[in-house]
Amino acid sequence: MSQVSGATAGGLAWWENRRVRDRIYKTVSYVVVIAGAAVLTIPFLWMISSSLKPSAAVFASPPQWIPDPVMWRNYIDAWTAMPFTRFLFNTVFIIALGLTGELLSTTVVAYGFARYRFPGRNVLFVILLSTMMLPYVVTLIPTFLIWRSLGLINTFDPLVIGAIFAWGPFHIFLLRQFMLTVPVQMEEAALVDGANTMQRFGYIMIPLIRPALLAVGVFTFQAFWNDFLGPLIYLNDMTKYTMNLGIYFFMGGPAEAPQWHWLMAMSTLLALPVLLLFFLAQRYFIEGLTVTGIKG
Amino acid sequence: MQPHLATGFRFILVLGGVVGLMVVVQRLLLLLRVRREAATGYALITPWLVGFLVFTSIPMIASAYLSLTDYNILQPPTWVGLENFRRIFNRDIDFGPAIRITLLYAFLSVPIGVAGALFIAMLLANDLKGIGVYRTIYYLPTVLPEVAVALLWRWIFNPQAGLLNRIIGPVFRIFGMSRPDWFGDPTYVLPAFVIISLWGITGVNMVIFLAALKNVPTHLYEVAFIDGAGSWRRFWSITIPMVSPVIFLQVVRGIIGALQIFTVYAFTNPTPRAGKFMSFYIYQTGFQQFRMGYASALAWILFSIILALTLVVLRSSEMWVYYEGERK
Repeated sequence: MSQVSGATAGGLAWWENRRVRDRIYKTVSYVVVIAGAAVLTIPFLWMISSSLKPSAAVFASPPQWIPDPVMWRNYIDAWTAMPFTRFLFNTVFIIALGLTGELLSTTVVAYGFARYRFPGRNVLFVILLSTMMLPYVVTLIPTFLIWRSLGLINTFDPLVIGAIFAWGPFHIFLLRQFMLTVPVQMEEAALVDGANTMQRFGYIMIPLIRPALLAVGVFTFQAFWNDFLGPLIYLNDMTKYTMNLGIYFFMGGPAEAPQWHWLMAMSTLLALPVLLLFFLAQRYFIEGLTVTGIKG
Repeated sequence: MQPHLATGFRFILVLGGVVGLMVVVQRLLLLLRVRREAATGYALITPWLVGFLVFTSIPMIASAYLSLTDYNILQPPTWVGLENFRRIFNRDIDFGPAIRITLLYAFLSVPIGVAGALFIAMLLANDLKGIGVYRTIYYLPTVLPEVAVALLWRWIFNPQAGLLNRIIGPVFRIFGMSRPDWFGDPTYVLPAFVIISLWGITGVNMVIFLAALKNVPTHLYEVAFIDGAGSWRRFWSITIPMVSPVIFLQVVRGIIGALQIFTVYAFTNPTPRAGKFMSFYIYQTGFQQFRMGYASALAWILFSIILALTLVVLRSSEMWVYYEGERK
């Protein structure tokens, strides 16, 4: 109760002063945000640091933060311990085809849902959205059996052909939401000028939804780059392995002691392209997510 | 190069086939006197429709059928009725631990993840200096490839040299306990996975929350402030209802994701005594032991659980999710 009397006597008590409260709130926010940032980056820095140590220093106690000497060789050694150049080539090949298929098919389908009225459109769109919720484990085995009956196990086909059939319902959703924000009048004007469907799609819609396309491109790249189960199930020959699959076998079984400095070097290399892509396309990445998150 | 060329060739062939199919669909519908706009619409969504049939509908039905059979790939499937399910519930010693750790992981990681993402988004929604840098850092765990993250954590959880045990080892010694063998000791596997999920709570979810928070009209807060509502009250009565659709979406997506965790499990390689995560158990049964029927039955159990949980969240959402659009 004494606080109240204090307040009546000399205006407000210090903790009731809005400016003081704001400042306290801000300071606490800073502390928490910076602490959180530290917690998030330390494992990442530890990964890079471990990748540059000589194998003896990896287990050194107390832990050594700055590697001495800096072993750039670890990267070359790890890379050449298995045919990783080949694995990288395979991965890039899969991504190139997958990205092409996914971008072409999802934009076309999204355009259909965004701009054309046809009976059953809304029902079909709800079905499309609900497939987002479908767990992959249910379709995993029959899909494998379909590819097997086509004799395409141990080829890249099961990993890329599906992309032609608009694999990602989320990507279609994202593109459609973006297309809905484009004013119809522009296409109508083009229609009056005699442009056909493909021209309106290619010359008007595509340039206007470039941010969304970039977002879908980045997401697709990430999905293929992260994919592990697909290659694990479908690829048998080592010559066809992807990066992730190569690293999995490089890691060795539970009995073998992994070469930690090499594994951390491979992890760093694996992270590099995605980090680079993220820094280059950060805006689109976040913009793409934001549009769907709000209107979802 | 040969396998690449072969796949590339088939890829172009299928791509051309799909384009051809789209043209055929449109022409055919026009011939059937369907309105031009509708015909074009159907033609445009043809790739998805075909994909939905071939890669979703047919596999769903096939999977349901397979779950009622015994199928080892070499011989044709033999019908066994509900035998697979009977065996899973009565005699499978791996099933109980698998379902237990999978569900516990989801129940722990999803609420913590969604609440944590909201909390961090609220902090970052303040106009702090250098906010762009923090946002980028907070996005780091999501951007890092799953395999790199799994390897990184396996290294951090290393019982002897891992960073975590070096930090918390002394604490454990005070209580007279030995340093935890995170992935080797069944008691620590679940906590280890929850810690990994904690690290990943920022990122996508946080970005979406951040955008949702920016969309809450400031006048709501101003009016509440004038009416004397404290910050706690404003949080529960304005922020939560306004972002509740986003919370709902993230809970549903979180449940589906958490129940199907695979890559991190495969790369961290924890002791199977803790229980294998369901998707890994299904993979082993189906693709290592080639018991495709049994694995399909396991997949359907997991699917039913996901469906049931999603429906529970959906039903309850009427009580706590507020859609502004409903006024219309």
